[in-house]
Amino acid sequence: MQLTLQTTREDHRIAWLAALAITIHIAESALPSPIPGIKPGLANIVTIIVLMQFGWTTAVWVALLRVVVGSLLVGTFLTPTFMLSLGGAVASLAVLGIASRLPGRGVGPVGYCVLAAMTHIAAQFWIAYWLFIPHDALFHLLPVLMTAAVIAGLVTGVIARAVLDRLSDTDYGRHPAAAAAD
Amino acid sequence: MTRADWVIVISAVALLPFLYALYWGNAAPGDRVLVLVNGKQVLAASLATDTEFTVDGPLGTSHIKVHGGQVRFTDSPCANKLCVHTGWLQHGGEFAACLPNRVSLVVSGLNNRYDTINF
Repeated sequence: MQLTLQTTREDHRIAWLAALAITIHIAESALPSPIPGIKPGLANIVTIIVLMQFGWTTAVWVALLRVVVGSLLVGTFLTPTFMLSLGGAVASLAVLGIASRLPGRGVGPVGYCVLAAMTHIAAQFWIAYWLFIPHDALFHLLPVLMTAAVIAGLVTGVIARAVLDRLSDTDYGRHPAAAAAD
Repeated sequence: MTRADWVIVISAVALLPFLYALYWGNAAPGDRVLVLVNGKQVLAASLATDTEFTVDGPLGTSHIKVHGGQVRFTDSPCANKLCVHTGWLQHGGEFAACLPNRVSLVVSGLNNRYDTINF
C-alpha cells in the first residue's frame, strides 16, 4: 500500500524555516561560552522573524521543531539541557503570543527579542531551581543571567531588525498583520 | 522601534539594578537562631529580643545567650569549650556546635553567608 502525504505550502515553509533555525542552533552549540549556561540565543532570531512575517502559529512550529530536532542532532534529547531548552521555548512562545496580540502599532523586533530572551532565562531558571538545584543560593545567579538576557535580547533584536529590513525590500511572503503594523 | 519596544527595553533595563539589589545585597543579619540537639531542632528564638536559655544534652546543660541581635554559647559541660570560644554569631548561616554535648546553634536569615560547610 502506498501512503501519500499531502503537504501544503505552509508545511514546506515551516520545514525550511525550521531547518534554518536548527542550523543556527547547532552552529551556536559549537561556540564556546564564557560562562556556562549563557549563550546568545541566535536561533531565536529566526523565531522572531517568523513571528513577524508569518504569524504566531508558524513561529510555534518552527521554534518547537528547532528544539526537538536540534537536541536530537546535538545529542541532548530528553537530557536536562533539553528540558531547559524546551521550557524556555514554550514560555517565550506564550509571552510572544500575548505580545503579538497587543493593540496599536504593536511590538517590533527589538521588543520581541528582549521579551523572548528574558522569558527564556526566567523559565529556565525556574525549571533549574524546581527540578535540578532546589537551593536558594541559585538566586545569586539570577541578576547575572538576566543581564546577559537583556544584552542578548538587544543584540538579537538588532540583527532581526536588520534582516527584516532586507526582507521588506523584497516583500516576500509578508504576513498581513506584520504589513499592517508597519 | 515602536512605543511598545521602548517600554519593554526600558523596563527590562530598569529591572536589572533591582535584581542586583535584591539578590546581591549584603548578607543580611540573621533574624532567628535554631537550637539543635542530636541534629533535631528543639527550639527556635528570635534574635530581636535579648534572652538567655539552657538546653540539656547528653553531657549536661548548655547555656546560650541572645544579646543585641547576636547569639552565643556562654557555658557548656564539654571539656574543650569550642562552642563557647566560637563567640558571637549574627549572620545568616553562621553556626556554633558543641559535639560532645550534641548541641548546636544555627542562625537563619534570608541571605545566608554560607551554603554548606563540611569538615
